Amino acid sequence: MNTTYVAVLELAAGAVLVSAVMTLWRRNVRSIISMLSLQGIALATAAIVLGWHEHDVALFVTGGLVLVVKGLVVPGVLRRVARLDPRSRESRPLVNVPASLVIAALLIVLSYVVTSRITSLAPSDATRLVPIGVATVLVGYFMLVTRRRAVSKIVGLILVDNGIALVTFLLTSGVPLIVELGSSLDVLLVVVVLQFLMVSMVHHSDTEQLTEMKALHD
Amino acid sequence: MTSPLYSVIVTLVQVVLAATGGPLLIGLMAKVKARAEGRVGAPIVQPLRDLRKLMRKERLHARHSSVMLPLAPMVIFAATTVAVGISPLVSTRPLLGSSADIFVIVYLLLTGSVAAALGGLDAGTAFGGMGSSRAMTIGALAEPALLVAVIALSIQSSSSNLTTIVSATLAHPDWVFGPSRLLALGALGIVVIAETGRIPVDNPATHLELTMVHEAMILEYAGPELALYHLGEAMRVSLLFSLVATLFFPWGVATGHSVLALVVGVGALVVKTALVALAVALIEVRSAKLRLFRLPELLAGGFVLSVLAVVTGLVTR
Amino acid sequence: MLILAILLVPVAMTLLAASVSWHPWVGWASAAASAAVLGLGVALCVATMKAPEVALHGALRADSLSAFMVVVIGTVSLLATLFTPRTMSQEMQSGVTSARYARHYVVLMEIFITCMLLAVVSANLGVLWVSIEATTIATTFLVSHRRTDGAFEASWKYLLLCSVGIAVAFLGTVLIYYAELHVGGSAHSSSLDWTSVMSVAHHLNPNVTRLAFALLVVGYGTKVGLVPMHSWLPDAHSQSPAPVSALMSGVLLTVAFYGLLRFRAIAVAALGTTYPRTLLLVAGILSLLLASAMLITQRDLKRMLAYSSIEHMGLLVIGAAVGTPLAIAAVLLHVLGHGITKAVLFLSSGEIYFLEGTTEIAKLSSLLSRRPVLGGVFGFALMSLVAFPPFSLFVSELSMARAEVDAGLWWVVAISLGCLGVIFASLTRHARQMLTGTPSGTEVGATTARSVAVPLIGALVICAVLGTVSWPLQSLLAHAAHGAMP
Repeated sequence: MNTTYVAVLELAAGAVLVSAVMTLWRRNVRSIISMLSLQGIALATAAIVLGWHEHDVALFVTGGLVLVVKGLVVPGVLRRVARLDPRSRESRPLVNVPASLVIAALLIVLSYVVTSRITSLAPSDATRLVPIGVATVLVGYFMLVTRRRAVSKIVGLILVDNGIALVTFLLTSGVPLIVELGSSLDVLLVVVVLQFLMVSMVHHSDTEQLTEMKALHD
Repeated sequence: MTSPLYSVIVTLVQVVLAATGGPLLIGLMAKVKARAEGRVGAPIVQPLRDLRKLMRKERLHARHSSVMLPLAPMVIFAATTVAVGISPLVSTRPLLGSSADIFVIVYLLLTGSVAAALGGLDAGTAFGGMGSSRAMTIGALAEPALLVAVIALSIQSSSSNLTTIVSATLAHPDWVFGPSRLLALGALGIVVIAETGRIPVDNPATHLELTMVHEAMILEYAGPELALYHLGEAMRVSLLFSLVATLFFPWGVATGHSVLALVVGVGALVVKTALVALAVALIEVRSAKLRLFRLPELLAGGFVLSVLAVVTGLVTR
Repeated sequence: MLILAILLVPVAMTLLAASVSWHPWVGWASAAASAAVLGLGVALCVATMKAPEVALHGALRADSLSAFMVVVIGTVSLLATLFTPRTMSQEMQSGVTSARYARHYVVLMEIFITCMLLAVVSANLGVLWVSIEATTIATTFLVSHRRTDGAFEASWKYLLLCSVGIAVAFLGTVLIYYAELHVGGSAHSSSLDWTSVMSVAHHLNPNVTRLAFALLVVGYGTKVGLVPMHSWLPDAHSQSPAPVSALMSGVLLTVAFYGLLRFRAIAVAALGTTYPRTLLLVAGILSLLLASAMLITQRDLKRMLAYSSIEHMGLLVIGAAVGTPLAIAAVLLHVLGHGITKAVLFLSSGEIYFLEGTTEIAKLSSLLSRRPVLGGVFGFALMSLVAFPPFSLFVSELSMARAEVDAGLWWVVAISLGCLGVIFASLTRHARQMLTGTPSGTEVGATTARSVAVPLIGALVICAVLGTVSWPLQSLLAHAAHGAMP
């Protein structure tokens, strides 16, 4: 039984990171959002498996919440945002795709090196997967910085959040429930507000505003 | 059966299987693609017939070519034969099995690629040079992915020797579906498609010189040399597919010294390699050839997957 | 009891504002609520001098540091909410907003104030995080209140960047919790309460704590406006309505800074002073350098004030880096003085915007002759901002410099004084452009409304009093400084 738990947890964590890399790879905005949905499901699976193993009901509940919020609702909101802009591809990012993929590989190695000290404090089947979560955070940060389109930046933010959520689940089997709830709902709220802002912006001006935000500068 | 004799037999069996099976694999893939497109397609044995036809033709060399032109197919054939002989495809005890390090196999294959590129340049034609340069570019981009994926495989079994990896995987069946293995499979899949010159990297059936990569290198070849070249390429394809099948799903590989196990091993290898060929053919049917400047994206993606495989392997050890 | 009352007042005001439609008396009611918070805060200060107050079975805890922050929040929010009626009527007059959005404005302001208060009185580091995140979401709508292109873009950028920062801060908090769980090599049940973490802080694993503190400086530093995570600040603070800018610049930045102070205490207990000091010094000095560079060529008044906020946050962080009791006390005095001064500046700039129609420095001139009271208030507030005596910022900056010298950080003093000199020159130049000159029209000596002049002049007077007569605050500040020490 223990090996199944470990195998499923490893697969789920791996799927989180692979879907993060795939969002960096794919150019089609729709497929990027599908990858995000897949990541949400993988994250929820990790939480549920951990909750089942640690007999922690709070983690179970959080896993279910993550499944609904990050697997279904947030991608749905993002699809509505994507529909506001008729162009469906991310073109000319600040760093081109092959270079971003190589940099992502470097970030993944970096996260492994940096977090080995954290996992050595309390080695267990769960904590040794922490580098995967940190790698997701770094990839998300990279995406936030190097992509021009507003949707891609939101996707980067969600990747950062998902990576941090994975690290939280693995390290501490969840922080006190209220904080966990706050963190999960926060992502939803942020995405909803961002969508609302973008809708308002579209009503105000043309869609170019959505992609290159250059009205304010020094 | 004594050990050295057994190893010799294993090696001979593997070489013969690759030499005959390779062209059959290529024929099989062409047949699957034809059927998927609604055509009848050529019979599966057609590549073997083509080889026989070519052997009976006259040896012709281009006017300004050097010794490299006839030498290249021989080097390809020789390198691939050695690689096939020492890999643990049918049994874990081929000849020189202890030298069957993954890096050795990779660099044997690379020797073949370099020879092919040099042969393409040798006649001094523009298209030959173009094909060689494209092939080397793809090879250079695919090498890091291949090597890192191979390292990922060797992390779990603590050795890069192929026979050790196969035996270790046979002993631990739960490794097969670990994230590290799956990611390495993905990365190797991309690399194998690049190295064997299949869609979406290269179209083996194209007639347009400007879209050629591998085909352009053999434009100046004719007769027996072309036959040897095709045979070498076919054996390379069968080796790569068999390696993917055996390294990731080693069931059926003979571990002892018995003849029965050997026969089972042959049967298992044939089935597994045919399945891999089928999968590749289906991928070919579903995709379009990528434009040349988009290839780095695909291969960089393969590289990232292999790095992921290594890190996941280190993390989940 | 006191803590609960402090929280319930703005909550009640939120409910009130949500249930009735906009009318100027709602604005005055919110000002009264802020005054009540201020009064209760002063009472809390007195109470916590003896012992920290606890409420809700230890979920809320206020020591002197929290009480002082409540007073700061109360003061600045009082100033800001006193201007709510006037701002709303001005905006409705110029067609920028309507009664419906005015109601949203008041509700959001009260939610904003509640969350800030919750952040400073919560005992739990996780609740601290949740409340700061909630302030981000509330203020996003406040920044976009005017619904112009610039406002939407500013609020989008603000929300995106601050959410990333807050997420990183969450990771840092989780790592501290993880370190606490494994104190002494064995898992032991614990909570995210600050007192609980402080009690085992000496035993926290150094590697994990180092990484956690770095993440927390980056994460909460984004909300404080430290370089290089500051890019949202000039946009957000310049595009929002004046009272919102006042609150954000005056207190929101310092509430995030309060979070940094609490975590700094944990880090110093676990790691010693060197590592936290280095990190904070780097962040503070970078902010100071960038702000002084950007202030030289500023063209917009409100962006200029925003960069000045970055400068002052840099000074605060440098003071926190030094970490001696004198330094922290000076830092806290600076928090109060800066909050008041920045609020006065933003509020008067809002008035200037309404009367003149622009905030571009080049287009404003001869304010002193055309609108003497308003120009005078603005001028004196700018003097306070550059730490002229008798204003309290002079005392706090001098004390911080002295603390730095005591700690042997001469080079830090040199850099700070250099930057402050540059900033002084830039701000004086901008002030001269705006305030002096001969007026071209006939509008000379226009009167400023009493509802504008009285609060602003009163605030400046308080600032000056704090600068000259510090004795009522001395013991409070010393006591409060202990809340930030291990």
